[in-house]
Amino acid sequence: MSFMQPSPVKYACSCGILNPINKLFFCRHCPKLRCGYCVTHEIESHFCSNCLENIPSTEARHKKNCCANCFDCPCCQHTLSARATTVPVVRKSEESKDAKKPEDESGDSPAAASTPPTPASSKPSAVPTTKKMYYLSCLSCRWTSRDAGIPDQGVATGTWPDNECLYQARFNSLVEYFQAVVLQEKQEKMEFMRRKTPKQHKFPSLTDRTGLTVSLIRRQMGWNDKTIPKAKAVITPAEATAEVEELPADIFTEPLNLRNVTTIAQRHSQPADQPTAVSSLYPQRRTLWIKRSLRCRQCEHNLIKPEYHPTSIKYRIQLFASCHVPEVVMVRCEQSLASGKSNAILLKFTNPTMYDMTIRLLTTAPTEDAEPAAEGSRIKEEPVSSSPHLRAAGITLSRQNSTREVKREVTDVSNAEIVPLESEFVLSQRDDSKEFDEYVQLPTEEPKFIVWRKGNKVLIRLQFTPAEELPANTDVVLGFAMQYTYVNTVTNAPEKKEPTTHALYSRVFINAGATEQKAN
Amino acid sequence: MPSENRIKIFPKSVVCEESNLRGDITFSSGCVVHPSATVIADAGPIIIGENCIIEEYATIAHRLEPGASWDANNILSIGTHNVFEVGCNVEAARIGDKNVFESKCFVGRGVTVTSGCVVGAGIKMLTSQRLSENTIVYGEQALQREAIDKQGSQTLQIDFLRKVLPNYHHLRKPNYDPKKARSVV
Repeated sequence: MSFMQPSPVKYACSCGILNPINKLFFCRHCPKLRCGYCVTHEIESHFCSNCLENIPSTEARHKKNCCANCFDCPCCQHTLSARATTVPVVRKSEESKDAKKPEDESGDSPAAASTPPTPASSKPSAVPTTKKMYYLSCLSCRWTSRDAGIPDQGVATGTWPDNECLYQARFNSLVEYFQAVVLQEKQEKMEFMRRKTPKQHKFPSLTDRTGLTVSLIRRQMGWNDKTIPKAKAVITPAEATAEVEELPADIFTEPLNLRNVTTIAQRHSQPADQPTAVSSLYPQRRTLWIKRSLRCRQCEHNLIKPEYHPTSIKYRIQLFASCHVPEVVMVRCEQSLASGKSNAILLKFTNPTMYDMTIRLLTTAPTEDAEPAAEGSRIKEEPVSSSPHLRAAGITLSRQNSTREVKREVTDVSNAEIVPLESEFVLSQRDDSKEFDEYVQLPTEEPKFIVWRKGNKVLIRLQFTPAEELPANTDVVLGFAMQYTYVNTVTNAPEKKEPTTHALYSRVFINAGATEQKAN
Repeated sequence: MPSENRIKIFPKSVVCEESNLRGDITFSSGCVVHPSATVIADAGPIIIGENCIIEEYATIAHRLEPGASWDANNILSIGTHNVFEVGCNVEAARIGDKNVFESKCFVGRGVTVTSGCVVGAGIKMLTSQRLSENTIVYGEQALQREAIDKQGSQTLQIDFLRKVLPNYHHLRKPNYDPKKARSVV
C-alpha cells in the first residue's frame, strides 16, 4: 500500500496539475475534477482546537484570532494546561481581622501564610484551610507560569494577565488612527459617489437633508458647511536616531549561557516583543483554527462543506474525488523495467459509486472538439443554477474576482507505449454488504485482460513497452485516458428527476518505477 | 560477578516479585518497583536511594564494559526521589536526586545526571555528558532548558502505589533492616 508515501498513480485535474486521487475533488455539477488550486477556499467557522469552542468571526477578529481561554507554551509551543495546587490560607474571624491585618500584608508569600504566626494559631477561630490556586504548566517541557513570574490565580481560566509590551500604547494609537483614516476615506468615497450619481427623484425636495439645499440653508443660517470629521492626528511620527544604546560591558567578559537565550521559534511565537532572554517568555494565547469550505470556481457549488460544530469531524457536503471517480491502484509490474522491452502491469480499479461503471482505457485523450456535446449541455444547464437576471446583467456571483478557469494543457509525461485493451469493461457497483458475503466465483465470460474480479474491484493486466531511447534509472510513466460512465444523481434542471449518465474521462499517469541498470 | 543475586530491600519499600533483578542491588526505604521493571547490576552494585519509582518496562542497567569484570567498588549510585517512567532505559554513570526519566527515553552510559533534571519522552542521549542541575531535555530536537521551578514531589504518587500495589501483586519481602543491623553490631 502507498500509505504515507507519494502515490505512483496521479490524476490530471481539469486545471492540468497532476495530483493523487485523495487530493482531488469532484464537482458533480460541472462534472469535472478539481484540485485545491481551482476551488475557492472559504472560512466556515473559527474554533479553538484545544477547548473546541466555536467563536463567531467578528469576535475572532476582535480577539485577534486567538482563544480567550487557552494558552500555548512560549518555550515549546505546546498547549499549556492549568494545574491546581492547594495553598494553605488562614481564615480569620471578624474580630481578629483588624489585629492581624498588618501581619498578613507583611508576609504575603505562601510560605509565610502556611506557617501562621503564633497568636493566630493560639486562637480557636483561626482555622487553617486550604485554597485551590492554579498555575499554567506545559506537559512537554515542564515550563510553568511561575517561571515567567506570573502569580498563581484563584480561577483556572479567564484571569490570566496579558503580556503588555512596551510600545503597546503606541501600537494601539496607531491602529486607532489608521482605522479612522480608513473610515474617513470610505465616507469620502461614498460622498463622492452620491454626488456623482444622478438623483433618483425627479424633483429635489427642500427637505432633502443631504443635497445642495442643506448646505444652502446652513449658509443662510450662518453655520459653516457640514464637513466630515477629520481623523484626529493624535499620532506623532516616529523619529529615527543615530544614537544606539551601547552594548553592556559584561557582554565581552561574561561567558554566554545559551540556556538563557531564546530560540528563533520562541521569538517568532511571541512577535510583539521578541524576547532574547528566556526569563521574559510569556504564555501566548492559542491561535484559532478554521473549518474550511471549498467551492467550485466555475459553478459556485460547494464541494466541501464541514459540519458547523467544532466537535464534529463530519461533512455536510463532501465531493471528494475518491468517492466518485474510479480509483486506480498500481499492483505490480510483471517484469523488471527495461527500455524497449515489452512488459505488463497489473492495475486494480475500484468503483466507489452505487452505480455500475463502464470503463474504457484510451491511449490518447479525447480532444476538446470531441466534447462539445457534453460541454453544450453543461452550459445550457448553468443559468438555472444561478439567478438568471443577475447573469443577464453581466454580474456573476463569484466570491473571488478571478474565476476564469486557467486552461492548462496537461503535459504528457508518459514515456511508454501502451497496448490498448481490446474492449471496455464493467466495474460493478459498490455494495458494502457484499464484503461479508461468501464469495462464489461465477463462471462468466470475461475479457482476456481481466485477471481477477470481486465486488466492485477489478484487476486488469495492461501491456506496455517503455520507450526505446529511455536511459537507465529513469522513471517509466504510463499515461492513458480513463473514460468512465458516471451516473449523476443531482441535476440542475428541476424538470428531469431521473439520474443522468455522463461519459467522463480523466487522464491518469502511473509511475511504474525506474528502469533497471543495463548490464554492461 | 557474584554467582547469585544479592538484593537488599529496606523496610517500607515495595518491590514486586515479577520485576527482573540481577546482581547486587540495594533498594532504600520507600522505593516502589513495578512488575516487569528491570534492574541489572553486571558491572558493580547498584544502590537506589529513597523514594524512587521504577515503573513498568523501565530498565536500569549497570553494564559491563568490554573486557571488564565485576568490581564491588564500581557502584552505580542513584539518589533519592527519582522517577523512571514506563519503558525508559537508563544506563547513566551517576544519577542524583529528584530526576524524572520520562517514557521511552534512553540515557546512555557516560551521562552524568545531577539533580532536578528531566529527560523528556523518547529522547536518546548517547554521548557522554554532564547534565547540570535542573536541566530539562524536551522535544523532538532534544532542546535543553533550565527549570526555574523545582519539580513537584512524587510523595502522593508513592503513597498511592504503596497502598495499591500490594493488593494486586506479590511483593518481595524487605530483608534488610538498618536498625536491626545496627543493634546486632
